[in-house]
Amino acid sequence: MTDAVETKAVGPALSITGLRKTFGANEVLRGIDLSARDGDVISMIGASGSGKSTLLRCIPMLEIPDSGTVTVGEDSLSPKGGRLTRAEEATARRMRGHLGFVFQNFNLWTHRTVLQNVIEAPLFVQNRSRAEAVDEATALLEKVGLAEKRDAWPAHLSGGQQQRVAIARALAQRPRAILFDEPTSALDPELVGEVLKVIRSLAEEGRTLLIVTHEMGFARDVSSRVVLLHQGQIEEDGTPEQVFANPRSDRARAFLSGHFDRTR
Amino acid sequence: MDFTFLGDMFASLLKGLPLTLNFWVLSLLGGGTLALILNLMRTTRIGNAVAGAYVFVFRGTPLLIQIFMIYYGLAGFGFVRQSFLWPFLREPYWCGLLALILNDAAYTSEILRGGLRAVPKGAVEAGRVSGMTRFAILRRITLPLAFRQALPAYSNEVISMLKATALVSTITLMDMTGIARAAISETWRAVEILLCAAAIYLAISLLVTRFSAWFERRLSPWHFGRTTP
Amino acid sequence: MEFGKLALLGFGPEGWGLVLVRAGLMTLAVSVAAFVFGLGLGILIAWARIGGNAVLRRLAEVYVVVLRGVPDILVIYLFYFGGRQVVTAIGTGLGFEGPFDISGFVAGMLAIGLISAAGQSEVLRGAYQAVPKGMVEAGRVVGMTRLTLFRRVIAPQAMTTALPGMGNQWQSVIKETALVSVTGLVETMRQVSVAAGTTQEHFLFYAAGAVIYLCITTVSDQIFRFAERRSLRGHPQGGM
Repeated sequence: MTDAVETKAVGPALSITGLRKTFGANEVLRGIDLSARDGDVISMIGASGSGKSTLLRCIPMLEIPDSGTVTVGEDSLSPKGGRLTRAEEATARRMRGHLGFVFQNFNLWTHRTVLQNVIEAPLFVQNRSRAEAVDEATALLEKVGLAEKRDAWPAHLSGGQQQRVAIARALAQRPRAILFDEPTSALDPELVGEVLKVIRSLAEEGRTLLIVTHEMGFARDVSSRVVLLHQGQIEEDGTPEQVFANPRSDRARAFLSGHFDRTR
Repeated sequence: MDFTFLGDMFASLLKGLPLTLNFWVLSLLGGGTLALILNLMRTTRIGNAVAGAYVFVFRGTPLLIQIFMIYYGLAGFGFVRQSFLWPFLREPYWCGLLALILNDAAYTSEILRGGLRAVPKGAVEAGRVSGMTRFAILRRITLPLAFRQALPAYSNEVISMLKATALVSTITLMDMTGIARAAISETWRAVEILLCAAAIYLAISLLVTRFSAWFERRLSPWHFGRTTP
Repeated sequence: MEFGKLALLGFGPEGWGLVLVRAGLMTLAVSVAAFVFGLGLGILIAWARIGGNAVLRRLAEVYVVVLRGVPDILVIYLFYFGGRQVVTAIGTGLGFEGPFDISGFVAGMLAIGLISAAGQSEVLRGAYQAVPKGMVEAGRVVGMTRLTLFRRVIAPQAMTTALPGMGNQWQSVIKETALVSVTGLVETMRQVSVAAGTTQEHFLFYAAGAVIYLCITTVSDQIFRFAERRSLRGHPQGGM
């Protein structure tokens, strides 16, 4: 499993161009362009309501953008009118197969054990053999430090443990990139560390990660790039040093100083 | 207490058991199927209105009036008597079964709807992001979760239907209650006869309760403090 | 069915309208009597299951299991025929001349009340258990007595939780009263059967009966919903 990260020669791992999304009268995303090369670790930060979660959810088409294009590997989608056609739905499924997604609220399947959660997609989406899927899942659970919980029910795990299972579940799809939607926001403070540790180890392996987060210190330490969203547009995009030490706009400066005062 | 009489009574009541079970099982199968269809209909606007009206009418009126309406009422229409269905609809058996199925479907569809609504949105999203098809999500996530959620309410419905089958005795059918009713008018020993019949119904519903508790534990062991399957 | 037949439902000399309205009111009367009787008994049973000693608890439990497992119509027969048996035994024992009979209204009210009590006690017990422990403790730390605690904290909280369930129980009672027609009490079901038999317009009259039941269930459903909304004022779930 350690060499699961294959290097793709051509093109970015994923890219987004001209993405727009409105909810009713509320324009949440106002033309976003963003692309990630293999091995990028991109943190997306911004105030609540800045659109960062919506942006992340648009990539696997959990939210369907009003316009714009999302490309994952060789597959590309430009949905119109807020819905997917049957053919687009199939493309979206292929794209999702190349992505891992980790939710804020874990969203483990409560009616399946830890191991069953991890092998579900390999078995029933990717049609891999059970023996192989179980071996790989066991290794992944080892990696997130939960090998001994493989037969437990999700309801009996702490939030931090559930989130680590969710990360193993995402990894089991052998994704080209993993998307994290505020992975520690629903956790008690003392459980945040164990989850961040796992994400950090993934970054160190050279995996491609997109992380929506409020953990500024973590974003600064782990990311290769930091993207700051403000009112549905990208306000800052650069290395952590650039964004955190020398933000170009006043708005970014205000947001960052406020945040560091509060959380640090 | 006249034990020979009680023994004889049990024996003759049990002759009605096959018919009772027949109505019970078939109405649950038919009602369950129709309930699933009603829920599928709810995905369209018109279907939703139709299903809503159906549930409103069948849950808002007594089963007895539904049985009579089908058994006595439909025969008043010339086109029913001329149709290919008439050989069925003239028989009290088919009328009773039809009424039970239609009635069960209304209640079961609401139970199923409640179960489907209780499926967490996140569980479905987790299925979508792992690339599952709609059908796979329905089969592997939505229905299993909805079914577990609905099971306690559904086991009540199963017992309700057992009790409801007793009403077919009002259209001349000789199920257990029909036999009991006939025996009362012959012997006038109502209390003994009715207690015998009640005991048989009670025994069956206790079995259902036991079974559904066992089934619930088997399907959702994490609700009962077991940490591993 | 020709249009003219609808006159049978009217209030003219040929019409059954007035009779049907009276029958509808009888349904309502039996329902209310049975529900109130069931409520009283249901409270006692719920209390026995929550606060009673081991014997009372067990008895209340058995009561609920039995009445939920036996067809309602058997319970009604039991009260009607059995009641007659008992009354006859007492009557002849006291030296009166037969024949003896028991009122369909009383038999129906008792039977349906007893059935409903089982369901109502379950609703009330569930509502009692759903009162958050913290609220009870908050009452205790300000020094409330058990009675004050029940009256000021537990009962109002539990009423709110219980209302939807009690609404369902009421709906069941209305529908169960149709079974009382087997005792000969002239309520809606009985009246439409008689009218259907007399006029040979079965579908018309059973449909009219269905409409009467729908009216009663719909109106009372609205009333319960209104009460529910009112009782939810100030609750996190919202309301008015």
